[in-house]
Amino acid sequence: MFELLSENLDDFTAGLWVTTRLVVASFVVALVLGTLAAALRVAPSKWLNRAGAVYVEVFRDTPLLVLLFISYPGLRRSGVEIGAWTAGIAALGVYTSAYVAEVLRSGVFAVAKGQGEAGLSLGFTQGDVLRRIVLPQAARTVIGPLGSITIAMIKNSAIVGASIVALPDLLKEARIVNSNTFQTEESFFWAAVGYLLLTVTVTVFFRGLETRYAVRR
Amino acid sequence: MRSKWFLVALLALALALVGAGCGDDDDEGGGGSADTSAQTTQAQAEEFPAGTTMGKIQKKGTITIGVKYDVPPFGFKNPRTNQIEGFDIDFGKAVAEALGVKPKYIEAISDNRIPFIEDGTADLILSTMTINPERAQEIGFTDPYFIAKGRILQKKGGDIAGVEDLAGKDVCTVLGSTYEETLKKQAPKAKLRLVDTYSECLELIQNGAVEAVSTDDVILTGMIIQDDSLELVKGEELTVEPYGGGFKKGDKEFTEFLNGVLEDYKSDGRWKASYDKWLGQYTGEEQEPPTQTLEDVLKEAEGS
Repeated sequence: MFELLSENLDDFTAGLWVTTRLVVASFVVALVLGTLAAALRVAPSKWLNRAGAVYVEVFRDTPLLVLLFISYPGLRRSGVEIGAWTAGIAALGVYTSAYVAEVLRSGVFAVAKGQGEAGLSLGFTQGDVLRRIVLPQAARTVIGPLGSITIAMIKNSAIVGASIVALPDLLKEARIVNSNTFQTEESFFWAAVGYLLLTVTVTVFFRGLETRYAVRR
Repeated sequence: MRSKWFLVALLALALALVGAGCGDDDDEGGGGSADTSAQTTQAQAEEFPAGTTMGKIQKKGTITIGVKYDVPPFGFKNPRTNQIEGFDIDFGKAVAEALGVKPKYIEAISDNRIPFIEDGTADLILSTMTINPERAQEIGFTDPYFIAKGRILQKKGGDIAGVEDLAGKDVCTVLGSTYEETLKKQAPKAKLRLVDTYSECLELIQNGAVEAVSTDDVILTGMIIQDDSLELVKGEELTVEPYGGGFKKGDKEFTEFLNGVLEDYKSDGRWKASYDKWLGQYTGEEQEPPTQTLEDVLKEAEGS
């Protein structure tokens, strides 16, 4: 068991490092695009709302694996020299951003309507109401769900490696070790441990945020 | 009332089943008429003693041959004719002709072909099977009827001339295949892209994400048939994979008979014709029939 890990440590750590980079970069993409999509969905314009809804539904309702198989070969064949890393990060980021957008939207709507109305009646502008009153309260309620999405994204990152994009991530390295040693349970056990390292770190981080911004009730 | 409907439904089901049965009978009828033509060829074929495998096959009137259904151009279902065709099938036909019987092809994938021999499901296996000492412990082999080679595929006009040029390049092969290890040894600086299927490798080289694909030339030729803007790199091969026909271990008479058929097949030009038809015309290469015997191959494998 530990023998397999020590003999193939280079492969496993290389894979873990690839997965970590993939996940961090995709999270940034997901946060930026998700915030933009959420902004569209809460904007005071029907057409912007619809555009946001289309974005969210397209990417939330398509399997990530399908998205990868369409976008990477599709873009390359239409002359876009997209690399494996860019394709992997973009696909995972865009896919996750749809979930982020939904969480942020529900966070904004969770703030009682009276809060915004009170702000407006006190003479705040629409922008100030959003920035100083609604968003800070919304941010607090979305910390938990964002943590869940991030954990889901770490696990989804395995799909990027298994797809045609074929990044040498943690799961792929475990499969390579497996194909060389035929020790199936052990190879994948250590892959699971690697993913746990990442997800537990994220859990602890989001727990910390939650405690810090908790409302005293 | 309800039970009456049930009866009607049962009757309908029974009728449908009988109908399907009739369909099968028709098929066998068709086979029967082909059998008569086989009988006419049997008249020209040598009669073998009843106790031998050859005699038993002649008594049955068919030889069951396990082949690949999905490895063009060796054994594959032609989508237009729905027939199994390929280089392996041609050799199977030659064996059947020598016995004066009809060949019957069944699908033998890599996982089940050795059990098929052991339990008698197939009389002979011709399914791109590499001869190696481990397998030779389990089953009998003919002399090699084809030597597949580990080669490199690139876009026509590419700058790869040999395995050493793979350094720094993106190279695709299938995860878990022997080529993963071969490439790591022979081209340690190549950037390997390991995918699940060869069709993904084909996609990656077509869209330019990788510069080369490396695996058996048989599979690579299948890719060239799909896309003639690809070519095999001329340089020295990475590995050598001699294919042999497989059958029940220890059947000396059958071994001699099959090797005799192979000898004729190689010397009278049928081997060459089949090679040109399935491989040569796509790769633009020429190849002579293999001259090694089974012993040569096994000795070499143990030496390395």
